[in-house]
Amino acid sequence: MSAPVLWNYDLDDACYRVRLMASLAGVALTLRSVDAYPGAEHRGAEMMALNPLGRLPVLQDGALVLTQPEAMLCHLARTGPRGAGFLPQAPGPAALVQEWLAFAARDLGAAAAARMAAMLEGPGDPEVLRLSARDALRIVEDHLSAQTQRGDGFVAGAEASVADIALFPAFALSRDYGLDHDAFPALRLWARRIRALKGFVPMPGIPDYH
Amino acid sequence: MPDLPSQWTPVALVADLPVATSAGTVLQGAEVVIWRDSAGRVHAWEDRCPHRGMKLSFGFVRGDRIACLYHGWQYDGAGVCRYIPAHPELEVPASICVPAHAAAEALGMVWVAAAGTDPGSLPPGGAEPLRSLFVEAPLEVLVGLAQAGLPGAGAVTEARRDGALLHLSQGGTRIAAGMHPMGPGAAALHLVLPAGASEDRRLALVTAAAGLRRAAEAAAGTGEAA
Ligand code: FES
Repeated sequence: MSAPVLWNYDLDDACYRVRLMASLAGVALTLRSVDAYPGAEHRGAEMMALNPLGRLPVLQDGALVLTQPEAMLCHLARTGPRGAGFLPQAPGPAALVQEWLAFAARDLGAAAAARMAAMLEGPGDPEVLRLSARDALRIVEDHLSAQTQRGDGFVAGAEASVADIALFPAFALSRDYGLDHDAFPALRLWARRIRALKGFVPMPGIPDYH
Repeated sequence: MPDLPSQWTPVALVADLPVATSAGTVLQGAEVVIWRDSAGRVHAWEDRCPHRGMKLSFGFVRGDRIACLYHGWQYDGAGVCRYIPAHPELEVPASICVPAHAAAEALGMVWVAAAGTDPGSLPPGGAEPLRSLFVEAPLEVLVGLAQAGLPGAGAVTEARRDGALLHLSQGGTRIAAGMHPMGPGAAALHLVLPAGASEDRRLALVTAAAGLRRAAEAAAGTGEAA
Protein backbone atom coordinates (compact mmCIF):
# COMPACT_ATOMS: atom_id res chain seq x y z
CA MET A 1 0.00 0.00 0.00
CA SER A 2 1.40 3.40 -0.87
CA ALA A 3 1.71 6.15 1.72
CA PRO A 4 -1.16 8.61 2.11
CA VAL A 5 -0.50 11.93 0.36
CA LEU A 6 -0.77 15.21 2.23
CA TRP A 7 -1.05 18.40 0.23
CA ASN A 8 0.87 20.56 2.61
CA TYR A 9 1.98 24.09 3.41
CA ASP A 10 4.58 24.05 6.18
CA LEU A 11 3.47 27.20 8.00
CA ASP A 12 -0.22 26.30 8.05
CA ASP A 13 -1.37 25.17 11.46
CA ALA A 14 -3.96 22.68 10.14
CA CYS A 15 -1.35 21.02 7.90
CA TYR A 16 0.91 20.77 10.93
CA ARG A 17 -1.79 19.04 12.98
CA VAL A 18 -1.99 16.34 10.31
CA ARG A 19 1.79 15.90 10.03
CA LEU A 20 2.00 15.68 13.83
CA MET A 21 -0.80 13.12 14.11
CA ALA A 22 0.73 11.03 11.32
CA SER A 23 4.08 11.00 13.08
CA LEU A 24 2.56 10.14 16.47
CA ALA A 25 0.48 7.35 14.93
CA GLY A 26 3.44 6.00 12.99
CA VAL A 27 2.08 6.76 9.51
CA ALA A 28 4.59 7.84 6.83
CA LEU A 29 3.09 10.55 4.63
CA THR A 30 4.07 11.60 1.16
CA LEU A 31 4.15 15.39 1.33
CA ARG A 32 3.21 17.49 -1.69
CA SER A 33 4.20 21.10 -1.12
CA VAL A 34 1.62 23.67 -2.13
CA ASP A 35 2.76 27.27 -2.49
CA ALA A 36 -0.17 28.69 -0.54
CA TYR A 37 1.54 31.97 0.19
CA PRO A 38 2.28 34.00 -1.81
CA GLY A 39 1.43 31.68 -4.72
CA ALA A 40 -2.21 30.93 -3.73
CA GLU A 41 -1.75 27.54 -5.38
CA HIS A 42 -4.37 26.01 -3.08
CA ARG A 43 -6.95 28.05 -5.00
CA GLY A 44 -5.60 27.09 -8.42
CA ALA A 45 -7.42 24.79 -10.84
CA GLU A 46 -5.57 21.63 -9.85
CA MET A 47 -6.13 21.98 -6.12
CA MET A 48 -9.72 23.20 -6.53
CA ALA A 49 -10.47 20.00 -8.42
CA LEU A 50 -9.22 18.07 -5.40
CA ASN A 51 -10.83 20.30 -2.77
CA PRO A 52 -13.48 22.74 -4.06
CA LEU A 53 -13.28 24.55 -0.72
CA GLY A 54 -9.90 25.87 -1.82
CA ARG A 55 -8.30 25.05 1.51
CA LEU A 56 -5.38 23.11 2.85
CA PRO A 57 -4.67 20.50 4.00
CA VAL A 58 -5.97 17.76 1.73
CA LEU A 59 -5.27 14.12 2.57
CA GLN A 60 -5.57 11.39 -0.01
CA ASP A 61 -5.36 7.76 1.05
CA GLY A 62 -6.06 5.51 -1.91
CA ALA A 63 -9.51 6.43 -3.17
CA LEU A 64 -10.30 8.39 -0.01
CA VAL A 65 -9.97 12.18 -0.18
CA LEU A 66 -10.38 14.14 3.05
CA THR A 67 -10.61 17.91 3.36
CA GLN A 68 -11.50 18.32 7.04
CA PRO A 69 -8.51 18.22 9.41
CA GLU A 70 -10.48 16.52 12.22
CA ALA A 71 -11.44 13.67 9.88
CA MET A 72 -7.80 13.32 8.87
CA LEU A 73 -6.65 13.07 12.49
CA CYS A 74 -9.19 10.33 13.20
CA HIS A 75 -8.31 8.45 10.02
CA LEU A 76 -4.58 8.52 10.78
CA ALA A 77 -5.17 7.43 14.39
CA ARG A 78 -7.39 4.58 13.17
CA THR A 79 -4.97 3.34 10.52
CA GLY A 80 -1.57 4.03 12.11
CA PRO A 81 0.32 1.29 13.99
CA ARG A 82 0.65 3.56 17.05
CA GLY A 83 -2.67 5.37 16.61
CA ALA A 84 -5.26 3.38 18.54
CA GLY A 85 -4.67 5.11 21.89
CA PHE A 86 -5.56 8.45 20.31
CA LEU A 87 -9.17 7.31 19.75
CA PRO A 88 -10.56 6.19 23.11
CA GLN A 89 -13.55 3.85 22.81
CA ALA A 90 -15.28 4.16 26.19
CA PRO A 91 -18.41 6.34 25.87
CA GLY A 92 -17.28 9.11 28.24
CA PRO A 93 -13.81 9.76 26.83
CA ALA A 94 -15.07 9.18 23.26
CA ALA A 95 -17.72 11.87 23.77
CA LEU A 96 -15.12 14.25 25.17
CA VAL A 97 -12.96 13.65 22.11
CA GLN A 98 -15.89 14.59 19.84
CA GLU A 99 -16.64 17.60 22.01
CA TRP A 100 -13.11 18.99 21.84
CA LEU A 101 -12.65 18.13 18.16
CA ALA A 102 -15.72 20.23 17.41
CA PHE A 103 -14.47 22.97 19.72
CA ALA A 104 -11.11 22.99 17.90
CA ALA A 105 -12.82 23.18 14.51
CA ARG A 106 -15.39 25.83 15.36
CA ASP A 107 -14.62 27.84 18.47
CA LEU A 108 -10.85 27.80 18.24
CA GLY A 109 -10.94 28.79 14.57
CA ALA A 110 -10.31 32.36 15.72
CA ALA A 111 -6.77 31.36 16.70
CA ALA A 112 -5.77 30.25 13.21
CA ALA A 113 -7.52 33.31 11.76
CA ALA A 114 -5.72 35.59 14.24
CA ARG A 115 -2.40 34.07 13.24
CA MET A 116 -3.12 34.47 9.52
CA ALA A 117 -4.18 38.07 10.10
CA ALA A 118 -1.03 38.79 12.11
CA MET A 119 1.47 36.98 9.88
CA LEU A 120 0.17 36.60 6.36
CA GLU A 121 -2.25 39.50 5.95
CA GLY A 122 -5.28 37.25 6.31
CA PRO A 123 -8.77 38.78 6.60
CA GLY A 124 -10.29 40.14 9.80
CA ASP A 125 -9.40 42.57 12.58
CA PRO A 126 -6.30 41.13 14.29
CA GLU A 127 -7.21 42.49 17.73
CA VAL A 128 -10.80 41.19 17.63
CA LEU A 129 -9.53 37.79 16.49
CA ARG A 130 -6.85 37.81 19.19
CA LEU A 131 -9.45 38.40 21.90
CA SER A 132 -11.71 35.68 20.50
CA ALA A 133 -8.77 33.29 20.51
CA ARG A 134 -7.95 34.32 24.09
CA ASP A 135 -11.50 33.57 25.20
CA ALA A 136 -11.45 30.16 23.51
CA LEU A 137 -8.05 29.25 24.97
CA ARG A 138 -9.30 30.24 28.43
CA ILE A 139 -12.07 27.65 28.07
CA VAL A 140 -9.42 25.03 27.37
CA GLU A 141 -7.31 26.35 30.27
CA ASP A 142 -10.29 26.08 32.64
CA HIS A 143 -11.00 22.55 31.42
CA LEU A 144 -7.37 21.46 31.82
CA SER A 145 -7.27 22.97 35.33
CA ALA A 146 -10.23 20.72 36.14
CA GLN A 147 -8.55 17.74 34.44
CA THR A 148 -5.50 18.33 36.67
CA GLN A 149 -7.72 18.04 39.75
CA ARG A 150 -9.05 14.75 38.34
CA GLY A 151 -5.50 13.52 37.83
CA ASP A 152 -5.88 13.60 34.03
CA GLY A 153 -3.24 15.29 31.92
CA PHE A 154 -5.11 15.56 28.61
CA VAL A 155 -8.49 16.91 27.49
CA ALA A 156 -10.29 13.55 27.30
CA GLY A 157 -8.43 11.61 29.98
CA ALA A 158 -5.05 10.42 31.14
CA GLU A 159 -3.72 9.80 27.63
CA ALA A 160 -3.36 12.07 24.62
CA SER A 161 -6.15 11.81 22.04
CA VAL A 162 -6.81 13.22 18.58
CA ALA A 163 -8.57 16.10 20.34
CA ASP A 164 -5.35 17.19 22.05
CA ILE A 165 -3.59 17.20 18.69
CA ALA A 166 -6.43 19.23 17.15
CA LEU A 167 -6.14 21.84 19.93
CA PHE A 168 -2.37 21.97 20.28
CA PRO A 169 -1.10 24.40 17.60
CA ALA A 170 -3.60 27.15 18.46
CA PHE A 171 -1.87 27.45 21.82
CA ALA A 172 1.67 26.51 20.80
CA LEU A 173 1.62 29.21 18.08
CA SER A 174 -0.23 31.84 20.11
CA ARG A 175 2.79 34.13 20.32
CA ASP A 176 2.54 34.50 16.55
CA TYR A 177 -0.68 36.43 17.12
CA GLY A 178 0.33 38.33 20.23
CA LEU A 179 -0.89 36.07 23.02
CA ASP A 180 1.74 35.16 25.61
CA HIS A 181 1.75 31.80 27.37
CA ASP A 182 2.16 33.38 30.80
CA ALA A 183 -1.54 33.50 31.65
CA PHE A 184 -2.17 29.85 30.69
CA PRO A 185 -0.25 27.66 33.15
CA ALA A 186 -2.40 24.55 32.61
CA LEU A 187 -2.03 24.86 28.83
CA ARG A 188 1.71 25.38 29.21
CA LEU A 189 2.15 22.09 31.10
CA TRP A 190 -0.22 20.28 28.75
CA ALA A 191 1.78 21.51 25.73
CA ARG A 192 4.91 20.20 27.43
CA ARG A 193 3.28 16.77 27.80
CA ILE A 194 2.40 16.82 24.10
CA ARG A 195 5.96 17.73 23.15
CA ALA A 196 7.15 14.72 25.15
CA LEU A 197 4.96 12.24 23.22
CA LYS A 198 6.81 9.58 21.24
CA GLY A 199 6.98 10.72 17.63
CA PHE A 200 6.42 14.42 18.32
CA VAL A 201 7.57 16.62 15.46
CA PRO A 202 7.99 20.41 15.54
CA MET A 203 7.04 23.05 13.00
CA PRO A 204 8.48 26.51 12.43
CA GLY A 205 7.50 28.43 15.57
CA ILE A 206 7.08 25.33 17.74
CA PRO A 207 10.40 24.08 19.09
CA ASP A 208 10.50 20.45 20.20
CA TYR A 209 12.47 21.06 23.37
CA HIS A 210 11.18 22.57 26.62
CA MET B 1 15.45 47.47 35.03
CA PRO B 2 12.47 48.17 37.28
CA ASP B 3 13.40 46.89 40.75
CA LEU B 4 11.15 44.32 42.38
CA PRO B 5 9.51 45.29 45.68
CA SER B 6 11.26 44.14 48.84
CA GLN B 7 8.10 42.33 49.99
CA TRP B 8 7.52 38.82 48.72
CA THR B 9 4.88 38.42 46.01
CA PRO B 10 3.46 35.08 44.83
CA VAL B 11 3.75 34.70 41.04
CA ALA B 12 2.87 31.04 40.37
CA LEU B 13 1.87 27.75 41.90
CA VAL B 14 4.74 25.46 42.79
CA ALA B 15 2.93 22.68 40.91
CA ASP B 16 2.99 24.76 37.72
CA LEU B 17 6.79 24.99 37.69
CA PRO B 18 8.09 21.40 37.46
CA VAL B 19 11.77 20.54 37.37
CA ALA B 20 13.56 21.74 34.23
CA THR B 21 10.90 24.22 33.11
CA SER B 22 10.64 27.97 32.80
CA ALA B 23 7.77 30.42 32.74
CA GLY B 24 7.41 34.12 32.14
CA THR B 25 5.48 36.42 34.38
CA VAL B 26 5.03 40.10 35.10
CA LEU B 27 5.18 41.75 38.50
CA GLN B 28 4.07 45.36 38.61
CA GLY B 29 5.27 45.88 35.08
CA ALA B 30 8.61 44.10 35.51
CA GLU B 31 9.01 41.04 33.27
CA VAL B 32 10.38 38.12 35.26
CA VAL B 33 11.43 34.63 34.21
CA ILE B 34 11.01 31.93 36.82
CA TRP B 35 12.68 28.60 36.21
CA ARG B 36 13.52 25.46 38.11
CA ASP B 37 16.84 23.70 37.53
CA SER B 38 17.39 19.95 37.44
CA ALA B 39 18.26 19.96 41.15
CA GLY B 40 14.88 21.51 41.94
CA ARG B 41 16.04 25.02 42.80
CA VAL B 42 13.83 27.91 41.71
CA HIS B 43 15.32 31.02 40.14
CA ALA B 44 13.75 34.39 39.31
CA TRP B 45 15.54 36.79 36.98
CA GLU B 46 14.91 39.71 34.74
CA ASP B 47 13.26 38.14 31.67
CA ARG B 48 15.75 39.43 29.15
CA CYS B 49 18.73 37.80 27.51
CA PRO B 50 21.80 40.08 27.70
CA HIS B 51 22.73 39.14 24.13
CA ARG B 52 19.89 40.56 22.03
CA GLY B 53 17.08 40.93 24.56
CA MET B 54 15.07 37.76 23.79
CA LYS B 55 12.82 36.69 26.65
CA LEU B 56 14.61 33.99 28.62
CA SER B 57 11.22 32.53 29.54
CA PHE B 58 11.00 31.37 25.89
CA GLY B 59 14.19 29.39 26.49
CA PHE B 60 14.75 25.93 27.86
CA VAL B 61 16.35 24.46 30.94
CA ARG B 62 19.29 22.10 30.51
CA GLY B 63 20.60 20.70 33.79
CA ASP B 64 21.56 23.60 36.04
CA ARG B 65 21.42 26.16 33.23
CA ILE B 66 18.81 27.96 31.20
CA ALA B 67 19.49 28.43 27.48
CA CYS B 68 18.13 31.28 25.40
CA LEU B 69 15.84 30.22 22.56
CA TYR B 70 17.39 32.69 20.13
CA HIS B 71 21.13 31.89 19.90
CA GLY B 72 21.45 29.38 22.71
CA TRP B 73 23.54 31.35 25.20
CA GLN B 74 23.50 29.43 28.49
CA TYR B 75 23.30 30.94 31.98
CA ASP B 76 24.08 29.19 35.26
CA GLY B 77 22.06 29.40 38.48
CA ALA B 78 23.72 32.68 39.43
CA GLY B 79 22.71 34.27 36.11
CA VAL B 80 26.27 34.20 34.73
CA CYS B 81 26.70 33.34 31.05
CA ARG B 82 28.72 30.12 30.74
CA TYR B 83 28.48 29.08 27.11
CA ILE B 84 28.04 30.74 23.74
CA PRO B 85 27.36 28.15 21.00
CA ALA B 86 28.74 30.37 18.22
CA HIS B 87 32.07 30.51 20.11
CA PRO B 88 32.36 27.16 21.90
CA GLU B 89 36.04 27.68 22.81
CA LEU B 90 35.50 31.10 24.30
CA GLU B 91 36.03 31.58 28.02
CA VAL B 92 32.93 33.73 28.50
CA PRO B 93 33.60 36.98 30.36
CA ALA B 94 31.90 36.88 33.78
CA SER B 95 30.50 40.33 33.13
CA ILE B 96 27.80 38.83 30.87
CA CYS B 97 25.06 38.07 33.36
CA VAL B 98 21.33 38.36 33.97
CA PRO B 99 20.14 40.43 36.97
CA ALA B 100 18.77 37.97 39.55
CA HIS B 101 15.91 38.52 41.99
CA ALA B 102 15.15 36.54 45.14
CA ALA B 103 12.97 33.43 44.68
CA ALA B 104 11.38 31.11 47.24
CA GLU B 105 8.64 28.53 47.70
CA ALA B 106 6.04 28.71 50.44
CA LEU B 107 2.41 27.65 50.88
CA GLY B 108 2.39 25.90 47.51
CA MET B 109 3.39 29.08 45.68
CA VAL B 110 6.52 30.50 44.05
CA TRP B 111 7.38 33.92 45.50
CA VAL B 112 9.72 36.59 44.21
CA ALA B 113 11.18 39.77 45.70
CA ALA B 114 14.14 42.10 45.30
CA ALA B 115 17.50 40.34 45.66
CA GLY B 116 18.47 39.96 49.30
CA THR B 117 14.92 39.98 50.72
CA ASP B 118 14.66 38.04 53.99
CA PRO B 119 12.86 34.69 53.51
CA GLY B 120 11.80 34.83 57.16
CA SER B 121 8.74 36.87 56.22
CA LEU B 122 7.28 34.14 53.98
CA PRO B 123 4.15 32.36 55.23
CA PRO B 124 4.76 28.96 56.86
CA GLY B 125 3.21 25.65 55.87
CA GLY B 126 2.29 23.73 52.78
CA ALA B 127 -0.86 23.53 50.68
CA GLU B 128 -2.48 21.71 47.77
CA PRO B 129 -2.65 23.53 44.42
CA LEU B 130 -6.08 24.52 43.09
CA ARG B 131 -5.24 26.74 40.11
CA SER B 132 -3.87 30.11 39.10
CA LEU B 133 -6.37 32.62 37.77
CA PHE B 134 -5.11 35.31 35.38
CA VAL B 135 -7.44 38.26 34.95
CA GLU B 136 -7.33 41.37 32.81
CA ALA B 137 -8.49 43.67 35.59
CA PRO B 138 -6.71 45.67 38.30
CA LEU B 139 -5.79 43.63 41.39
CA GLU B 140 -7.98 45.76 43.65
CA VAL B 141 -11.05 45.07 41.49
CA LEU B 142 -10.29 41.35 41.47
CA VAL B 143 -9.62 41.13 45.20
CA GLY B 144 -12.60 43.34 46.05
CA LEU B 145 -14.85 40.79 44.33
CA ALA B 146 -12.93 37.79 45.67
CA GLN B 147 -13.55 38.94 49.24
CA ALA B 148 -17.23 38.26 48.59
CA GLY B 149 -16.28 34.71 47.58
CA LEU B 150 -15.92 32.68 44.39
CA PRO B 151 -19.30 32.94 42.62
CA GLY B 152 -21.60 30.06 43.55
CA ALA B 153 -19.15 28.28 45.88
CA GLY B 154 -21.01 28.72 49.16
CA ALA B 155 -21.33 31.20 51.99
CA VAL B 156 -18.26 33.21 53.02
CA THR B 157 -17.53 33.01 56.74
CA GLU B 158 -14.14 34.72 56.66
CA ALA B 159 -12.30 37.00 54.23
CA ARG B 160 -9.07 38.35 55.62
CA ARG B 161 -6.11 40.00 53.91
CA ASP B 162 -2.71 39.27 55.32
CA GLY B 163 0.16 40.75 53.32
CA ALA B 164 0.07 39.20 49.86
CA LEU B 165 -2.48 36.58 50.91
CA LEU B 166 -6.25 36.62 50.97
CA HIS B 167 -7.63 34.01 53.37
CA LEU B 168 -11.12 32.97 52.43
CA SER B 169 -13.36 30.53 54.24
CA GLN B 170 -16.17 29.65 51.90
CA GLY B 171 -18.67 26.81 51.98
CA GLY B 172 -16.59 25.07 54.63
CA THR B 173 -13.31 25.25 52.62
CA ARG B 174 -10.33 27.33 53.64
CA ILE B 175 -8.88 28.89 50.49
CA ALA B 176 -5.66 30.89 50.39
CA ALA B 177 -5.24 33.23 47.42
CA GLY B 178 -1.82 34.66 46.62
CA MET B 179 -2.41 38.18 45.29
CA HIS B 180 -0.24 39.00 42.29
CA PRO B 181 -0.37 42.49 40.76
CA MET B 182 0.92 42.29 37.19
CA GLY B 183 0.31 45.77 35.87
CA PRO B 184 -2.32 48.52 35.88
CA GLY B 185 -4.92 46.30 34.16
CA ALA B 186 -3.81 42.76 34.92
CA ALA B 187 -3.56 40.60 38.01
CA ALA B 188 -3.53 37.00 39.12
CA LEU B 189 -4.67 34.96 42.09
CA HIS B 190 -2.77 31.79 42.95
CA LEU B 191 -5.25 29.56 44.76
CA VAL B 192 -4.33 26.81 47.20
CA LEU B 193 -6.28 24.63 49.63
CA PRO B 194 -5.46 22.62 52.73
CA ALA B 195 -5.07 18.90 52.03
CA GLY B 196 -8.24 16.82 52.14
CA ALA B 197 -10.79 18.73 50.05
CA SER B 198 -12.88 16.28 48.00
CA GLU B 199 -12.46 16.10 44.23
CA ASP B 200 -16.02 17.35 43.70
CA ARG B 201 -15.29 20.37 45.87
CA ARG B 202 -12.02 21.11 44.10
CA LEU B 203 -13.72 20.88 40.69
CA ALA B 204 -16.49 23.20 41.86
CA LEU B 205 -13.88 25.73 43.00
CA VAL B 206 -11.94 25.51 39.71
CA THR B 207 -15.16 26.39 37.88
CA ALA B 208 -16.14 29.08 40.40
CA ALA B 209 -12.75 30.75 39.89
CA ALA B 210 -13.56 31.16 36.18
CA GLY B 211 -16.76 32.88 37.28
CA LEU B 212 -14.71 35.27 39.38
CA ARG B 213 -12.57 36.08 36.32
CA ARG B 214 -15.69 36.88 34.27
CA ALA B 215 -17.10 39.04 37.08
CA ALA B 216 -13.84 40.97 37.57
CA GLU B 217 -13.43 41.63 33.84
CA ALA B 218 -17.06 42.67 33.53
CA ALA B 219 -16.47 45.11 36.41
CA ALA B 220 -13.29 46.41 34.79
CA GLY B 221 -14.89 46.58 31.32
CA THR B 222 -12.33 44.18 29.79
CA GLY B 223 -14.60 41.15 29.41
CA GLU B 224 -15.10 38.67 26.64
CA ALA B 225 -14.76 39.75 23.06
CA ALA B 226 -17.99 38.15 21.85
S1 FES C 1 19.24 36.85 22.34
FE1 FES C 1 19.66 35.31 23.77
S2 FES C 1 21.26 34.22 22.84
FE2 FES C 1 20.97 35.82 21.45
